[in-house]
Amino acid sequence: MSEHVPEKQQQVDSDKKGNPRERISDESTKEKQKDRIYDDIIIMLTRMITVSPTDVSPETDILYDLGLDSLQVYELVVDLEDGYDIRLPDEDLDKIHTVQDVVDLVYKLSR
Amino acid sequence: MNTAEHDFADSLLHIFDNVLLTEEKALSKGYFADLSIAELHTLEAIGPYEARAMSETANRLGITTGTLTVAIDRLVKKGYVERNRDTKDRRVVRINLTRHGKLAYRMHSKFHTLLVKRIMEPLDPDRQEILAEMVMNIDRFITEQYRKYSDEENLKTRLDDSRRSIEDV
Repeated sequence: MSEHVPEKQQQVDSDKKGNPRERISDESTKEKQKDRIYDDIIIMLTRMITVSPTDVSPETDILYDLGLDSLQVYELVVDLEDGYDIRLPDEDLDKIHTVQDVVDLVYKLSR
Repeated sequence: MNTAEHDFADSLLHIFDNVLLTEEKALSKGYFADLSIAELHTLEAIGPYEARAMSETANRLGITTGTLTVAIDRLVKKGYVERNRDTKDRRVVRINLTRHGKLAYRMHSKFHTLLVKRIMEPLDPDRQEILAEMVMNIDRFITEQYRKYSDEENLKTRLDDSRRSIEDV
């Protein structure tokens, strides 16, 4: 009997994958979570440097457009690590350029 | 020692001196000018994430918990470290880095990352592996020597203590 349970679960999972409504719901949850991360990052940035939230977009480059120095980058990193209970290693930071990159990385690590 | 060995020994000592000097200079000119190199290495031993026990950190640094207590007192005063009682066992005190401490740690580890990158980047993976192995061998040898001297010193201190207590009697 117990061997049938995972099979049933697999069936439910494959139904869910195939169901467009479920897929849309997953996508919208993902987008909502990313929006929340984006808002948090904007709040952190506006506290850290003199910038208006309207001047920042997902494509904004955190080094070249916002002019964050290495200490300010780490301030953002430490606050994100504490806020989302994640670890952001230096190797991952090398790949980050835009605000959207930060959002995607935090989303990936906090799942 | 032949000339090549002599040059190699000179280079090793140079690297050791210059890394320490550069770290010290970078610290004194940076945002964390109130930290000494030894204090920075204490932050490194605590690490930026989990709270650590004093004995565990002292072990990592190769010092006694008494010495570490003095160092931690100073770091708490400067705002880099905080002490908290363990939630499960109230008798145990744990230490962790404050936000300021974490920033100092990250900035310092960036220096180490850059150093390794600069040395490793020009080499192909095979050579990188050989170099890493050689450096680890040197590290192992020096750590062994250090332990030998530390053990001798500890033994001497214990002998002096027991001699003093016999004289007192």
